[in-house]
Amino acid sequence: MIEFTNVGLRYGHGPEILRDLTFRIEPGSFHFLTGPSGSGKTSLLRLLLLSLKPSRGTVKLFGRDVMSLDQDALLDMRRHIGIVFQEFRLLDHLTTFENVALPLRVLGQPESVYRENVTELLEWVGLGERMEALPPLLSGGEKQRAAIARAVIGRPDILLADEPTGNVDPDLSLRLVRLFAELNKLGTTIILATHELPLLDAFDFPHMALKDGQVIVNG
Amino acid sequence: MADEVIDASASLATARPQSQKRTAAIVPERSVAGRTLVLLIAIMTFLSGVTLGGVVLVQKSAIAWSSDVGREVTIQIRPVEGEVMDSNIRTAIAVAEAIPGVASAHALSLADSEKLLEPWLGAGLDLSQLEIPRLIVVELGDPKAVDLNLLSRDLQAIKGASLETHAAWRQQLNTMAGTLVLSGVLVLALIVLATILAVVFATRGTMATNREIVDVLHFIGASNHFIAGEFQGRFLSLGFRGGVIGGLGAILFFLAVASATGSIVPDQAAAQLGFLFGRFSLGIDGIAGIAAVVPVIAALTAITSRLTVRRFLSQTS
Repeated sequence: MIEFTNVGLRYGHGPEILRDLTFRIEPGSFHFLTGPSGSGKTSLLRLLLLSLKPSRGTVKLFGRDVMSLDQDALLDMRRHIGIVFQEFRLLDHLTTFENVALPLRVLGQPESVYRENVTELLEWVGLGERMEALPPLLSGGEKQRAAIARAVIGRPDILLADEPTGNVDPDLSLRLVRLFAELNKLGTTIILATHELPLLDAFDFPHMALKDGQVIVNG
Repeated sequence: MADEVIDASASLATARPQSQKRTAAIVPERSVAGRTLVLLIAIMTFLSGVTLGGVVLVQKSAIAWSSDVGREVTIQIRPVEGEVMDSNIRTAIAVAEAIPGVASAHALSLADSEKLLEPWLGAGLDLSQLEIPRLIVVELGDPKAVDLNLLSRDLQAIKGASLETHAAWRQQLNTMAGTLVLSGVLVLALIVLATILAVVFATRGTMATNREIVDVLHFIGASNHFIAGEFQGRFLSLGFRGGVIGGLGAILFFLAVASATGSIVPDQAAAQLGFLFGRFSLGIDGIAGIAAVVPVIAALTAITSRLTVRRFLSQTS
């Protein structure tokens, strides 16, 4: 599903942030992406999200070399990938329901078609009572659950999460990762970037450790 | 997962009011410098409407002038020693009426001539003591059918007679009206250009302030086409609102001016103004022209914003 071969990444003429990354991730797997701050976790996730192109090497997603794809094909592929950010990135003027429904709305689906699915998903993540609430008044945990719901409403094959537990307390962090684990059981490939050791210890998932621009896959 | 206690009252406080429960626009209304842009577009539409209305008035008046003047020619009979003026006048009238297309011809009486000369020579003048040229007004039934060269040639038989067709005056009039219309069109073009530039800057500002929204839309798989459409919709709405305000303002302006010339200016002066400029009445076609400016400005705003957004997105993607 995901295959990196000798991938390097640099911004402009700066030094390489990521060097010679070579790894393969199978469909339906769950990986923690670890590494100290500044090790390139976010850059790697952006490569996976197709919002960056590698400076060298080959990135294959779903069996296709992303460098050979045109704009439309990239857009189509991006719709198979969900993303959750540490800072949630919900749109403050839209309700929780509207934020979660956004990926379906941009596909041109009418509300009558997606209302039931979105409502069901919001109830599943425990936000059934907060559907009409605006994000500025949601708690950190509620915001993150809404962001996760938004990331999975389009049934992505790959779900990327960039420090999704960075802004919530340890107890809620564990519950959020359990939610990711539930999604993984449903078949979604998950890569979750974190540097919180308690989380890594609490779950028996393989680690992808980034250090000095290179990746080591354990487990 | 619903294990977090949610206070019911807090839930109500953070929810969007029932009255606003419709799908919100992805580009928030308040984020587009809305009121300023609406005001700007309203001003531009007002200026466009007033300019267009002015052009319509000038053109209508020029056509009316030209048409009125073109239906009349004047024969002038100068006093010539040894000639009998009244006889020459009668002959000239007969010559004129013999020309095909001439409806009628009549000489201005001495009293009429006195009235014409009154502004220059003063009232109470006895023209019988002066030898002044006499004028014959020739009404043309069908100006195109009248052979003025033939009339001019026939009048050569009458000593002291000459024909005034007002051709030079009409040509000057048409040139002046044409210049005014061209100036109006140029002003309209400049207003349109200024509107486009204003919308381009407003769109760029909006894109910068909504960068977060654009990024999120990209991350969740929105195409540039979709994003541009969202911004275009917002700007179309703003353009339409501004256009309606400006267009109504322009129509009210012309109604107010028409009313003011009727009530403030004395009747005689109003009649002269009416003769010169028409009656400051745009008519249905003029009002329809101003009304047509509204959708044009709205569409212009929407198209400009769409192109600006597409350019912005292609540069940042």
